[in-house]
Amino acid sequence: MKTFNTMLKTELKLSLRDMNMIIFAICVPIVVAVILGIIYGNEPAYDGADYTFLAQSFGALTTIAILAGGVMGLPMLVSDYREKKILKRFKVTPVSPTMILVVQLVIYALYSIVALILVFATLAIFFGYYMVGSWVLFLASHFLTMIVMFSIGMMVGGIAPNAKIASVIACLLYFPMLIFSGATLPYEIMPEALQSVADIMPLTQGIKLLQATSLGLPIESVFTPIIVMVALSIICIAVSIKFFKWE
Amino acid sequence: MNPVIEVEKLSKSYAQTKAVHDVSISVCRGEVFGLLGANGAGKSTTIECILGTKKQDSGTVKILGMNPLADRKRLFEKVGVQFQESNYQSSITVRELCKVTGSLYKAPTNYNDLLKRFGIFEKAKSKVADLSRGQKQRLFIVLALIPNPEVVFLDELTTGLDSRARRDVWKCLEELKANGLTIFLTSHFMDEVEILCDRIMILKKGAIIFHGTALEAINASPHDKLEDAYLWFTDDPGHSADAELLGQAAREVENENI
Repeated sequence: MKTFNTMLKTELKLSLRDMNMIIFAICVPIVVAVILGIIYGNEPAYDGADYTFLAQSFGALTTIAILAGGVMGLPMLVSDYREKKILKRFKVTPVSPTMILVVQLVIYALYSIVALILVFATLAIFFGYYMVGSWVLFLASHFLTMIVMFSIGMMVGGIAPNAKIASVIACLLYFPMLIFSGATLPYEIMPEALQSVADIMPLTQGIKLLQATSLGLPIESVFTPIIVMVALSIICIAVSIKFFKWE
Repeated sequence: MNPVIEVEKLSKSYAQTKAVHDVSISVCRGEVFGLLGANGAGKSTTIECILGTKKQDSGTVKILGMNPLADRKRLFEKVGVQFQESNYQSSITVRELCKVTGSLYKAPTNYNDLLKRFGIFEKAKSKVADLSRGQKQRLFIVLALIPNPEVVFLDELTTGLDSRARRDVWKCLEELKANGLTIFLTSHFMDEVEILCDRIMILKKGAIIFHGTALEAINASPHDKLEDAYLWFTDDPGHSADAELLGQAAREVENENI
């Protein structure tokens, strides 16, 4: 536990020093939340809807940090640590290199939770948002989204041949999902063709689930996303464990 | 007395090439052992097989009587390692790196004392990346000593250092030697090896071509300096023939010019 705490504290400091996650996981979702709030105010999601456009977007906004940490931060950090032989160095200590990976997962989870709190606070304080659905189901969905995105990131970081390729793959995953999965640009205002593209993205599944739970919609409506996410997580975790390259 | 490091008939191949072939090493407590050889002679592969970061094809390795793969957790409480490559996070400070390294062990030494002893205490707040090469290497010795080890492995500790920095590092190692620490090192510098090592082993193409003291190496060769003896041992007949030809060509050019 002493090892874990010291490592968590140090790695967190290094991560904060780097600033990337502060910008992409904390600032971006807040800025997007404010922009959507200013544009849509308290308008209903569609004519006759009994929830507002912002309420519909809340779940999606909370995934921006998960996306930034999972498919951008994690793959780049893991491949960087491998290239710098930091993971290998652990193999000649009493502590397993898995420890430092777990520490990173905790750090990215912390960013996601902080972003969730700040986005909620922004919408609640300035735009009168409140959660209609169940917080418990919403947080469980948030956690499942984290698992699937982090397992994708761990897989990419673990099997990419070098840091350069890892960052290319990270960008190919990050930017399309940031823009087209509904995380920033609301899914509902996309043309139908774009929606069908969005539907194949893993993050879109998470956003559908978060939307349903935050709006208190029947859980049966999001059965498919749940199954897709669980299956995808299992695949990525299995691939990571089987093919992870420590050096 | 039981040897601290015991390697028997170690062999390791990559694809078709034999990287290490039938190498046996035995290092006693308090001894400084130098593994020498040209780049690609199999030094790093040997060290990595001993430490268990690479798996040998055949042969056995024991450090402090333990198997480095099976008893990793227990063994590496007592073994300090410095690899050739720098392995630290890009923006980490000296103190942070020491703190994290210390947290990996049950009973670490006070790193502040070590930093003072190696003259880099005032650099504790600096980023590791900002240290000079000599300071960095001294820091890596500190890191290898944090577990309070019974044996340390130092892979090409002084490569890339200027003479002054090298001398500073030697001073540190001599002090450790005087304190009875067992040291396994690899090096390219014969003056360093002569000062520090009780025993040396020279590898060529993965096989042992000499094993003994530096003096024995000199006596076994037609030369009177370790550097020359080392070159004589590691000399590639093909290369020396080339050198001969080159020399001859040069002389001919000279003659023509006259």
